[in-house]
Amino acid sequence: MDHAGLNWKNLLTLALAVGATAFAIARAPADDEAIFPMPAGKTYLNECGSCHTAFAPGLLPARSWRKMLAGLTDHFGEDASLDEPQRLAILKDLETLAADTPQANLRMRRINGAIPGNAAPQRITESGYFKFMHDEVPRHIWQRKKIGTPGNCLACHTRANEGRYGEREVRIPQ
Amino acid sequence: MKRYLPLLALFAALPLQAETPQQILDALVAQAGPASAARGEQLFRAKSTAGKTADACTSCHTDNPKAPGQHVKTHKTIDPLAPVAQKDRFTDPAKVEKWFKRNCNEVLARACTAQEKADFTAYMISVK
Ligand code: HEC
Ligand code: HEC
Ligand code: HEC
Repeated sequence: MDHAGLNWKNLLTLALAVGATAFAIARAPADDEAIFPMPAGKTYLNECGSCHTAFAPGLLPARSWRKMLAGLTDHFGEDASLDEPQRLAILKDLETLAADTPQANLRMRRINGAIPGNAAPQRITESGYFKFMHDEVPRHIWQRKKIGTPGNCLACHTRANEGRYGEREVRIPQ
Repeated sequence: MKRYLPLLALFAALPLQAETPQQILDALVAQAGPASAARGEQLFRAKSTAGKTADACTSCHTDNPKAPGQHVKTHKTIDPLAPVAQKDRFTDPAKVEKWFKRNCNEVLARACTAQEKADFTAYMISVK
């Protein structure tokens, strides 16, 4: 039999192509592992991570954050107000790392792409992206005592406060 | 002016310095008068009808100051309030002040008095 297509030259080409693809995948961790950049330092974690998960800025566009930080005295019914220097510093971090900045990674762009340009949504959990990513999580799971609400990212994404939402770091509590 | 300089330097240094729960209590007692841990415990457990999102401190902090709590709305886990169980509690005066302001307003729909803050702090320190 004559396997014309399987000579050593073709095999070498194939091996090189597979190697190159593997290399390319290994070099793109940010887009593959669902990692969102987080503000440096402890201020964001302390001020915006005390009542809930410190949500990654890349989960909403800058206009959403601007609107939110203009109304912190009535933040979803609670007083989340900050002194002015802290408010400005946090706003700057949020704007720099938001979903619609030029440096945004693939996921952030997808999030931003699904939000109409004239809208400034205040909830991450109501975005099309969030619903799509969680459509396999059944309703009764959200109601477990340790979870309670979809906004409780940290209950399942154990490293959410570091902006890490990768599949390998998901632990759904009982 | 000159003799006040060391005092000024001390004030400038204060916000950077972590304090002990006892120092924070002393500062509150200096404003309010003697503190009572028993009254503090009453405040911690009292049910209020004025609250917006919660009807007691225990709604988020549970009725055991040594146990982790859970925020009634966001369901986030909250570290225990008693310094014996969570050593950074009552060590940052600005943080203590900020949460008294928010949480008293949340539960009682008013600010807590210096006396209430002193009593509450004394109770948390007394939990062993
Ligand atoms: C005093 C408590 C408190 C603080 C401090 C606080 N928040 Fe919130 N936040 C809440 C509550 C309560 C909700 C609504 C939770 C719910 O109804 O599910 C909320 C909701 C949110 C949501 C929407 C989550 C969703 O459902 O998609 C975002 C985004 C948010 N907060 C961002 C921030 C940022 C940014 C800061 C810091 C500037 C901050 N929060 C500080 C209490 C707080
Ligand atoms: C009930 C547990 C649970 C909660 C709470 C939860 N998630 Fe998830 N999340 C999951 C599961 C399960 C997946 C799917 C894992 C997978 O296949 O990648 C997922 C996937 C994701 C992904 C996609 C990861 C990827 O690989 O692309 C993102 C981003 C994400 N979640 C963000 C959030 C955010 C932000 C919050 C809070 C506002 C949140 N999640 C709350 C369970 C949860
Ligand atoms: C709606 C939920 C909620 C209620 C109700 C609540 N707290 Fe808190 N409390 C919190 C959160 C969230 C924090 C900060 C989270 C953290 O530091 O881990 C906190 C922190 C505190 C602190 C800061 C302690 C320290 O040094 O770190 C004090 C003091 C405090 N609460 C007092 C009270 C008092 C007094 C009441 C009742 C009048 C009350 N809380 C009711 C949510 C609540």
